[in-house]
Amino acid sequence: MIGRIFDIKEFAVHDGPGARTTFFLKGCPLRCRWCHNPEGQSFDRELMIRSALCEGCGRCRRPAENEIFRTYGRNPSACPKGLISLCGEDLTPAQVLEKVLPMKDLLASMEGGVTFSGGEPLMQGQFVSECADLLHEHGVHVAMETCGYASSEVFRQVASRMDYILFDLKIMDPKRHLAAIDADNGPILENARWLMENHPAFVFRTPLIPGYTDDGENLAEIKSFVGDAPWEKLPYNNLAGAKYSMLGRTYPLEGQERT
Amino acid sequence: MRDLRELLLNREHRSMRHAVPDNLAETYSALGLDPRERMTRRFEYLAAEETPVFLPGEKIVFARTVSNIPDCFTVEEWAKFKKENYIHELGYLSNICPGYDTVIRDGLLAHRERGDEYVKREIDALLNLCDRYQAAAKEQGLEEVADILTRIPRQGAKTFREALQLFRILHFSLWLEGNYHVTVGRFDQYMWPYLEADLAEGRLTEEEAYDLVKDFFLTFNKDNDLYVGVQQGDNGQSMVLGGMTRDGKPAFNLLSRLCLRASCENKMIDPKINLRVSAETPDEIYELGTQLTKAGLGFPQYSNDDVVIDALVRLGYELEDARDYVVAACWEFIIPKYGMEVVNINALCFPKVLDTTLRQGVEYASYEEFCDAVAQQIDQECDRIVSLRNEQYEKSSETAHHVWFVPSPLMESLMSPKYHNFGAHGTGVATAADSMAAIRKYVFEEKLLTFAQLLEAVDSDFANNPELLHRLRYEAPKMGQNHPYPDEASCFLLERYADSLDGRPNCMGGKWRAGTGSAMFYLRHAAELPASPDGRRKNEPFGANFSPSLFARIGGPFSVIQSFSKQNFRRACNGGPLTMEFSASVFDTEEGIRKTAKLVQAYIRNGGHQLQLNAVNPNTLRDAQKNPEAYRGLIVRIWGWSAYFTELDKEYQDHVLARQEYSL
Repeated sequence: MIGRIFDIKEFAVHDGPGARTTFFLKGCPLRCRWCHNPEGQSFDRELMIRSALCEGCGRCRRPAENEIFRTYGRNPSACPKGLISLCGEDLTPAQVLEKVLPMKDLLASMEGGVTFSGGEPLMQGQFVSECADLLHEHGVHVAMETCGYASSEVFRQVASRMDYILFDLKIMDPKRHLAAIDADNGPILENARWLMENHPAFVFRTPLIPGYTDDGENLAEIKSFVGDAPWEKLPYNNLAGAKYSMLGRTYPLEGQERT
Repeated sequence: MRDLRELLLNREHRSMRHAVPDNLAETYSALGLDPRERMTRRFEYLAAEETPVFLPGEKIVFARTVSNIPDCFTVEEWAKFKKENYIHELGYLSNICPGYDTVIRDGLLAHRERGDEYVKREIDALLNLCDRYQAAAKEQGLEEVADILTRIPRQGAKTFREALQLFRILHFSLWLEGNYHVTVGRFDQYMWPYLEADLAEGRLTEEEAYDLVKDFFLTFNKDNDLYVGVQQGDNGQSMVLGGMTRDGKPAFNLLSRLCLRASCENKMIDPKINLRVSAETPDEIYELGTQLTKAGLGFPQYSNDDVVIDALVRLGYELEDARDYVVAACWEFIIPKYGMEVVNINALCFPKVLDTTLRQGVEYASYEEFCDAVAQQIDQECDRIVSLRNEQYEKSSETAHHVWFVPSPLMESLMSPKYHNFGAHGTGVATAADSMAAIRKYVFEEKLLTFAQLLEAVDSDFANNPELLHRLRYEAPKMGQNHPYPDEASCFLLERYADSLDGRPNCMGGKWRAGTGSAMFYLRHAAELPASPDGRRKNEPFGANFSPSLFARIGGPFSVIQSFSKQNFRRACNGGPLTMEFSASVFDTEEGIRKTAKLVQAYIRNGGHQLQLNAVNPNTLRDAQKNPEAYRGLIVRIWGWSAYFTELDKEYQDHVLARQEYSL
């Protein structure tokens, strides 16, 4: 079993209980206009170039005998400033464990654990499940940050293994959801209902995106859906668009004011 | 209160200053006066030149109105001193912690009785100034100030406010005497009895005490622009809170708490707050410290009692004194009153050790053999360090014969010298350890290149080999990744440094202490070196103090605190913190504060010795570089002190910005 990640973040303080290490899984079924991790959307490996610091020496375009150059036409290891990286690392669950073990005691002392985020962990549900089982064998607390968009089988298989779940609820109106995110929110709401009825430790979260999620109507609908269940609203990050240019893309919400 | 802070930030009070003619040295020289007489005369002169001033609303008075302190000696006389003695920095006493407590308790008259004729004369001059302040206060209707000044200078303090005022007078006088980096020490310990009594007897409420502390903290910012070290802000007004008492009990008290709060609220660069902690320190104290980190001042700096006290005892400090440790201007551990130490007298540059080893032109057969060569080079560097050679000093040979300081009657009268150790910094640890890791991996394991080829690449600044540069910079293991290669190398370097200094006496009957601080050498040493085998290019600085290399792709805070706590600080304990940068957003929530506090605690429990965190917003810094006028109050941490960002030279600003690349 192999999973694909695009980042590992140590000391994540907003990804569940305590201080955590978060594995970001590559690939997401949704296309939220405000997404701040665009490199998490595609499952394919992508070249990221911090072009703002590029002086245009052209070394990366000189033909090189390596796989990356053959695929992408750029040679990351020719960049003297290290501005080019291949985003997407393939790992086995055992390799994930190997990365976690050296910090296991620290995580425990900080009442934290490991969080799987993304992208969307449910896109690699089997991998995440195996990782969770393995980490549990070593007493590590495991959480998942999810958009909830998956078949109920996959969702239940993965969610039931999690000690804690952070579940995004963005837009309640199906039409508005489809327009902003390119997906039907039916499966999301079904999984959210299952979560409320079956899981002991979770939180719903709503990113407050001006013009998309932060209107009173939407928030009231979410409130009535979640009832007394834990629910947090997350402020919009005005640096959200920073990574698009590194992928050669344009941030869909370019110029959006911060709330 | 708010007005006073604004006034200080806007520098309005500086208009009340005047300069005195810079001709004392010539006069004293013509009269053939000895150094102690000159220091005394100068103090008498400057004290007479000082004019009483009162800033709006201030409760604790005394501010400098003479803007300069003319030198006591002519250029020719200094040249002579430097031939005959080793002169440290400016030659005046600095970077020590006077024993304030006795004088605050007994007053200046009792202290005068204990002093020699020079001390007596300085105290007479000081009392005269106090009397003029008293008269002026009365005239301006400042009854309370006038009343306090009637009694305390002569008779000592009874209340907390009186004690604060007398401290201020002493601290002011020590600077006026020409000493510098006059540290504050364990303020929450020697002041606590006064506050405790006031609270117990109902003279003060906690909130009134807090207001006094806040007002008192502002006093450190009245004159600090006159106390410039390498840069504005480098003034050594460091205060140490918490830890344990001389008899080993927890020392953190209500006053420690008020100090943390006052620093948070004042948001000024002085006093520089240090917080002593240990594995036993309750979570709440770490959380209070983190609240202060959130304020963005680069305080507090934490030190680990478990490690530091043990290290000091191993060096021969008495246990009770070791428990009383404070930091010098930046981070070097010293003992108040008893430590007449020179904690920053020299520095070992680890990357230079590596560079010299490379240049021996040997193709070492194994990594171990290479390490032996590095160790020999460390020994040679330590020979140089203890010899204290400088350009002028003629007598220097194997060891320096004499380190001479201009005698300072008042400062000396507040010291009972018991310890005379010398401290040496250790700069570029991560750059050197990363270089060794790269050599271990690419020269010995992968046999990718020879030492000769590596040296050629370094000397050409990797101009002809960008792929090698990329590999060394971005693919080789680095400190901050919790990787065994660089981490083991750093342990080796520090252990051998401590070994090499161990047993070498200094010229004052003390010992040598190995440290991990860099001071300004992270720029200066780096500028003197070519590129290094870790892929650092020529003219790129090292990380400040004991921190990851600036371009290292570190794993994150967990990896960093593990990489930087494996070393044996019980042996290399002259001081020098790990610095970590955090995005200000980490501190947005109480949760974030609590979790960061846990991280600090984890570093301490892992055996790290000193830690300092920054809450930064890189965009703000970039904007401040462009629009300095809009960011006059913006504070950043430099190496052992905090400064107003816009007052720094650009090279220091740029280093602060470069560090952000590795922030969260």
